[in-house]
Amino acid sequence: MPDNAPIWKFEVVTQNLSYLLAGLEMTLLLAVVSMVLGVLLGLLVAAARLSRFLLIRAIAGFYVDVWRSTPFLAQILWVFFALPIVTGFRISAFAAGIICLSCHASAYLAEVFRAGILSISGGQRHAALALGMTRFQAAYRIVLPQALTRMLPAIGSQSINLVKESALVSVINLQELMWYAQSLAGFTMRSIEILTAAALIYAALTYPQALLVNYLHRKYVVQS
Amino acid sequence: MPYTWRFDVVIENLPVLLQGLWMTCVLTVLSMVIGLVVGLAIALLRLSDWRILRVPATVFTELFRTTPLLVQVVWIFTVIPLLTGVLLSPFFSGLLALGLNVAAFMSEIYRTGIQSVDRGQRHAAQALGMTSMQTMRRVVLPQAVMRMVPPMAAMWVALFKDTSILATIGVVELMYQARFLASDTFRPLEIFTVVAVIYFILAYPQSLVVNRLYERFRVRE
Repeated sequence: MPDNAPIWKFEVVTQNLSYLLAGLEMTLLLAVVSMVLGVLLGLLVAAARLSRFLLIRAIAGFYVDVWRSTPFLAQILWVFFALPIVTGFRISAFAAGIICLSCHASAYLAEVFRAGILSISGGQRHAALALGMTRFQAAYRIVLPQALTRMLPAIGSQSINLVKESALVSVINLQELMWYAQSLAGFTMRSIEILTAAALIYAALTYPQALLVNYLHRKYVVQS
Repeated sequence: MPYTWRFDVVIENLPVLLQGLWMTCVLTVLSMVIGLVVGLAIALLRLSDWRILRVPATVFTELFRTTPLLVQVVWIFTVIPLLTGVLLSPFFSGLLALGLNVAAFMSEIYRTGIQSVDRGQRHAAQALGMTSMQTMRRVVLPQAVMRMVPPMAAMWVALFKDTSILATIGVVELMYQARFLASDTFRPLEIFTVVAVIYFILAYPQSLVVNRLYERFRVRE
């Protein structure tokens, strides 16, 4: 400990709690909306990747690879600063954040969905078709319900990742938890307390999800 | 008015980008080394018989796994100097944050790898008169390593992309150079596009290797 060791003053956190909570609200909004959009888009992309047509498969595959092989920071900066130049109209930081988080999540989720569907043995689908079900019925009634339980833990992990990635949209000045934390740290000159509080809030958000993922993993994946 | 692409701006500044890319590679390699070594130590602590060793190791792993990397990077960069009085350069605090982050995930890979080897094998080795050290070295680890390779390779690819986050504390790697050039040249479209392409060209073949490794090391019992 140096001579001028700081005294921890956690009242700075309680005094500014309303700002941190406003940030938390935005973080939650980003995570929930992007997760819902990501799941929907991910299902679409997974279906495209399992399509019979080579062109559709190739486009969907390229989409997944691009979002998975570039850093999230590069994606958010590109969408916020470069995309408006291509399209000709500006988008808000919020829109850029939602677009990036949803598309990013959808690429990872599409792989989860695809692997889950492929993990169900082909015999099950053939049996369903032999019983006279249509392709849609076979997918909807036989394959998907079984695939879903195997996918649940991986979907949960993606939701955790989404909360963590959402901190990065602070670089385009979207006012979520990390943005408020960094602004308050500078403003109050109390980075130790504020940043620690922010880290703990993130941990409190994701840790219950991590426990749920572990539970789902034990329940559905290890057994099967 | 249609937009005129000016890729000559990128070509002119290519040395700046390449310099950043070099730093990105250095950071990836060094953090991976830290992660592999520290991660193993943490994993052994978590598998220890003593609670006093297990608990801190678990808290460390969970804290680094449940908080965003950006928070860890900023925390270490600003809070460690305030707490200890030791000034850290952006490079060292960034490396420390990345290395410890990788170590947390790596320790889980080690731990699950070791635990995934069937318990019967360990019992059989001990029944043959091997000491617990011999059992670990000759029976458990050789099999566990095979299962650890694919997730470790996946970790490497994730790490390569995550180094970009260090741009936020001023480590002069590829993403930092990109943001600098984008505002310096007023050509964000060209610069950010080229940088995204550079990341893609480097990361994509690596992810193909990861897929191959998962195929190759698939466990059959």
